[in-house]
Amino acid sequence: MDRRTLLKGLTGVGSLAATGGLSMPALAQGAAARTLRFVPQANLANFDPIWGTQYVVRNAAALVWDTLYGIDAALQPQRQMVEAEEVSDDGLIWTFRLRPGLKFHDGEPVLSKDVVASLARWSARDPMGLMIKAIQNELTAVDDRTFKWALKQPYPKLLLALAKNNAPCGFIMPERIAQTDPFKQITEYVGSGPMKFAKAEWVPGAKAVFEKFTDYVPRQEKASWLAGGKQMLVDRIEWVVIPDPATAAAALQNGEVDWWESPIPDLAPVLKKNGNINVDIADPLGNIGSFRMNHLHPPFNDVRARRAVLMAMNQEDYMRALVGDDNSLWKPLPGFFTPDTPLYTEEGGEILKGKRDLAAAKKLLAESGYSGQPVTCLVAQDQPITKAMGDVTADLLKQLGMNVDFVATDWGTVGARRAQKTPPGQGGWQMFHTWHAGADCISPAPYTAIRANGDKAWFGWPNSPAVEKEVTAWFDAKNLDEEKAAVKRLSKAAFEDVIYAPTGFFLSYTAWRKSISGVVKGPLPFFWGVSKTA
Amino acid sequence: MLAYILRRIVATLPVMAIVALFVFSLLYIAPGDPAAVIAGDQASPADVERIRQSLGLDQPFLVQFGTWFWRILHGDLGTSIFTSLPVASLIAQRIEPTLSLMAITLILTLVVAVPLGVVAAWKAGSWVDRTIMAFAVFAFSLPVFVVGYVLAYVFALQFEWLPVQGYTPLAEGFWPWLRNLILPSVALGCVYIALIARITRASMLEVLQQDYVRTARAKGLGQGNILFVHALKNAAVPIVTVIGIGIALLIGGAVVTESVFAIPGLGRLTVDAILRRDYPVIQGIVLLFSFLYVLVNLMVDVVYTLVDPRIRY
Amino acid sequence: MSISTTSTAVVPPGVVVAPRLPDLLQPVQVRRGLLGFLRNHPTVAIGGGLLLLLVLIGIFAPYLGTVDPTALAPARRTRAPSADHWFGTDLLGRDVYSRVLFGARVSLAVGLSVAALASLAGLAIGLVSGFVRWADGIVMRFMDGLMSIPPILLAIALMALTRGSVGNVILAITVAEIPRVSRLVRSVVLSLREQPYVDAAVASGTQTPMIILRHILPNTLAPMLVQATYICASAMIVESILSFIGAGTPPTIPSWGNIMAEGRALWQIKPYIVFFPAAFLSVTVLAVNLLGDGLRDALDPRMAKSL
Repeated sequence: MDRRTLLKGLTGVGSLAATGGLSMPALAQGAAARTLRFVPQANLANFDPIWGTQYVVRNAAALVWDTLYGIDAALQPQRQMVEAEEVSDDGLIWTFRLRPGLKFHDGEPVLSKDVVASLARWSARDPMGLMIKAIQNELTAVDDRTFKWALKQPYPKLLLALAKNNAPCGFIMPERIAQTDPFKQITEYVGSGPMKFAKAEWVPGAKAVFEKFTDYVPRQEKASWLAGGKQMLVDRIEWVVIPDPATAAAALQNGEVDWWESPIPDLAPVLKKNGNINVDIADPLGNIGSFRMNHLHPPFNDVRARRAVLMAMNQEDYMRALVGDDNSLWKPLPGFFTPDTPLYTEEGGEILKGKRDLAAAKKLLAESGYSGQPVTCLVAQDQPITKAMGDVTADLLKQLGMNVDFVATDWGTVGARRAQKTPPGQGGWQMFHTWHAGADCISPAPYTAIRANGDKAWFGWPNSPAVEKEVTAWFDAKNLDEEKAAVKRLSKAAFEDVIYAPTGFFLSYTAWRKSISGVVKGPLPFFWGVSKTA
Repeated sequence: MLAYILRRIVATLPVMAIVALFVFSLLYIAPGDPAAVIAGDQASPADVERIRQSLGLDQPFLVQFGTWFWRILHGDLGTSIFTSLPVASLIAQRIEPTLSLMAITLILTLVVAVPLGVVAAWKAGSWVDRTIMAFAVFAFSLPVFVVGYVLAYVFALQFEWLPVQGYTPLAEGFWPWLRNLILPSVALGCVYIALIARITRASMLEVLQQDYVRTARAKGLGQGNILFVHALKNAAVPIVTVIGIGIALLIGGAVVTESVFAIPGLGRLTVDAILRRDYPVIQGIVLLFSFLYVLVNLMVDVVYTLVDPRIRY
Repeated sequence: MSISTTSTAVVPPGVVVAPRLPDLLQPVQVRRGLLGFLRNHPTVAIGGGLLLLLVLIGIFAPYLGTVDPTALAPARRTRAPSADHWFGTDLLGRDVYSRVLFGARVSLAVGLSVAALASLAGLAIGLVSGFVRWADGIVMRFMDGLMSIPPILLAIALMALTRGSVGNVILAITVAEIPRVSRLVRSVVLSLREQPYVDAAVASGTQTPMIILRHILPNTLAPMLVQATYICASAMIVESILSFIGAGTPPTIPSWGNIMAEGRALWQIKPYIVFFPAAFLSVTVLAVNLLGDGLRDALDPRMAKSL
C-alpha cells in the first residue's frame, strides 16, 4: 500500500466527528458530589499493568496511564497521545509524533524517550509486542516529540497492538519507571492519564483512591472507549473492595457506594426493582466460558474422545448455571469468536448445535478406546464461574459413563497444576475450567487460548497445524475479507481438532445509582464522562 | 511470678520458630504458584519461570527458609509478592480494624454474657434460666455470616440506622468508628455470648452449691454481693479459660465477619494471601498470630493465679 | 417397697411408745434399666432422641422421598419450595430437600468425628500436662504454637495438597480444636491436683498412672463432655465457614455448611436455600447440647445441676 492511501486512511480514521466536545453538566456543590465510590470486580492487590495482567489491574491502570492509541467502540484504533503518524511505503518504518502539552503527574513533560522505554518494557511481555520485537530493527526517539519504529518486515496490525484494551496495554510511563525489569514490579505509579493514584491512601485488597489530574489535556473528540477525550467530571474516585455480593448489593441499595462493576445475575432483579438503581449490560463483548482438555494424555489425546464430549455437552446447562433465568444474559456459542463482532463465525460448529445425542457420543467415546480410567477434573471453588461450570461438567461426564476424579480446589492451585505436563496419575490433569473476556476473543491477535502450536500453546497443549496455518494467514491478511476467510477456516479446523470446548457466551451486568450518569458499555469500566449529582 | 513470666516469654521464641518452620513447610509443599497467578492467564510457561526466579521461588527449601528466618531475626518481615509492599506495613495498615472489632466484641460479650450467666445460675431451673439457655443454644448454632446478613438487612437496609459495610478509623471520630463496628460485633459476638453465658452459668452453679455461699447468705449479705463478689470470683477459672480460648476463636470468626461487612482487617488479608500464595504475608501473619496467642495464654495463666490462689506454678 | 417409720416389734411392758406418726416419706420408685435411666434424666432422652432421629434421617436419606442430591437441572435453578421440591432448588437446580437430608450425613460425621478425635487427643495431652509438672511447660508451649496456626490455612493447605474432601475438613478442624480441649482439661486438673484426696493418694504410694486413672480422670470427664458437645456443634459451624471460603467439602458431597455457603449471596431473595440447612443445623446443635447436659448431670451426681 502506498503512503498516501495509508495516511488518508489513518487520518480518516483518526478524526472522529467532533460533536463540540463535552459540556460540563451542572454539578451539585460539596465534596461528596465530586467523589465516585466504585466496587471493582476483584481486589486491586498490585498495580503494575505490564507485570500483572489481571483485568482489575488493567482497569485501574487505564485511569492512571495513557496510551499512544486507543481502541474505540467500533473496534478501530484511534490516536490518543499521538498527534500524527507516518508509515514508509514499504511498511517498515513507522514514525510518530506526540501531542503537545502532555505531562506526567510529577509535572515532567512526556518525551519520546519515555515512550521508547515504555514500549520496550511492554513488548517484552505482550504477545503482539513480542511479535513486533522479533521483527524489530530499532525503536528510537528522534526528538522530544517524535519517535521511530523500524521493522524488518511489515506489521500491519501495529496500531491495533498499541491501541488494544487486552492486557498488557501499551501504557506510557516515565523512562525511569519503565526501565524496571518487565518481570519485576514497578514501585512508583506515575503516569500521564487523567487521574493520579493516591498511593498513601492505598490499602491493597481493600481500598484504592484516585484523584483528578488537573493538568491533563483531553482530546477534542468525543470519548469512545479508550479513544477520544477523557474528560473527568469527578474529582476523586474511591475503589472499595467488597468481596461479598450480598453486602455489595446492600451497600449499593442504601447509597454507600455509587457503582458496582459486576453484580451477580441472581441479585439483578432486586437491584432493578430499586427505584434508585440502574442495571444494564456491562460489556457487549461479554465472556466465553470454556473448559480445556489435555491433549497430551489419554483419554483426551484422542480427538474422538474430545469430540464425544462436545457431542454430549449442552451449552444451555452451563450458561443457566452461570446466569440463571435471565435470557438476555447468554447465547449459545457454536464458535470460538465473540458474537456480534466482525470476525464471528459458526463454521464447523454443527457439533454443538441441535439436539444432544448421548448415545452417539458414548459410542464415539468407546471407539476412542476409553476404558473407564479416571478423568482428573480441576475445579476452582473460589471462582463462582468455574465452580458452577465444574459441577455441570461432573454431571456431563457421569452421563457419558466416564469415571470422574473431581478435584475441588482453589484458583491458585488450578493455576499451578494446569501447567504440569505430567500424566494425571502423577500430578497432572485432564480437564480444567476457565473463561475468557469476549474482548480477548475478537480476533486471533490477543487470543492465546486458540493457538495450537503444541508445546508452546496454552494449557492443554493442542497441536493443530491447520489452526496455526490460518493464524498466520490472518496476521498476513490485507483486508477484512481476507481476515474473515482465514478465521472461517481457522474455526473449522479448531472444531475438528477440538482446541478447547466453549461452554457458551455470557454477559454480565453492571449497576449504578441514578445519581451518577455517563456510564457506558465497554470491555472495561470507563470513568471519563461519568458525573455525579448530590 | 515475675520469673515465671520471663521464663514463659523466653520459652515462646522456640515455639514461634517451630510454628514458622511448620507453616513454611506447609506452604512449600502445597501446590499453587504465586508466579502463575501473577503472570496471568495469557503468560507462557517461560514467563512464569522468569517471575519465579525473580521472586526467589526456585531456590531449594532450606535456602528459602534460611533467608526468611535470617531477615526475621533482623526485624524484617519481608515483602509481599503481590503488592511489593513490606509485610510489616501491610499488617500495620490492617491491624487497627481487626483489633477494634475484637475489642468491641469482647467488651460486648463480657458485658452481656457474664451477667446473663450469673442470673441464669441464680434462677436455675426457672423459666428465666431456661429462656436464657435456649437463647444461648440458638445463638450458638447460627453461622456468623447468616447472623451478619440478617442484621445488615434489618438495621442497615430496612431501618437505615447503621452502615452496611466499611470501616472508619478511630482517628476520624469516636462515633463514626463505633458506628461501623456495631453490626459486625453483634454478629461476631453472638456465638461467644452464648458460649460464655453457658460456662458462667455452669461454673456459678457449682460455686453456689458450696458451703461458703450458704454461710454468706446466712450472714445476711445481699444477693448482688454474694453473686458478684464471692461466687463469681471463685467461679472464674473456667470462665477465664474460655475467654482466653474465645479470643483465639475471635480471630477465626473475624475472617468471616470482615468478609461479610467488608472490613479491611487482618482476617481478610490472611484469606486473600492464602488463596494467592503470597508467602511472605502468610508467614508474617502467622508469626503475629502465634505471638498474640502466646501472649493471651500467658495473661490467662496469670489471671488464674489472681483468681484462684490455689493455683500456683 | 415402702419404708415405714413405724415398727412392728413387740413392746415390753412399762415402755412408753411414741405415738404412731403418719408416713411422711413417699415411697421411692427405683427405676431400673435403660428406660428407667431415661425417665430419670429427661434431657438425655430428648437430646439423645433428637440426635438419634437426625442420625437415622442421615442413614435412611435415600428412602425418605429424596432424589439424587447431585442431580443437576440448571434450567430449574432457584425455584421456591413446591410440591415437586419441598425445600426448593438451589443454584444449580438440585433439590434442596434431598441435599439437606444427605447433608445430615456429612455434617453429623464431621461434628461427631471432630468431637471424638479432638476430645481423645486433648484429654491425653491435658492430663499429662496438668499432672506431670515438668511436661507442662513444654506441652503447653507446643499447644500454643499449634493454636496460632489458623485452621483456615491448614484446611486450605490440606485441600491444596490433595483435594477438598470430608477427611481433610475433619483433620483440619480437629487439629485446631485439640489445643483448646487440652487447655481446659489442664485447667481442671490443675485445680483438682491440689485436692486433699489426691495428696492422700500420693502419700499412700499410688503410682501416677493409677492416680490419673482413678482420681483425676473421672473428675475431668464431666467438663470434658460439655466441651465435647461444644466442639461437635462448633465443628459443624466451622465446616460451613470453610465452605464459605471454598475450602470445605466439595460440592459433589452436600453438607449443611456448603449448602448454606452456596446460597448465601441470594438469601435476601431466596432465603430457603440458607434457611433449611440452618434450621437443621440449629436443631442438631440443640440436640447435642441437651444430650451433653443430660449426660453430665447423670454421670456425676455430685456435680449434678452444676457444671
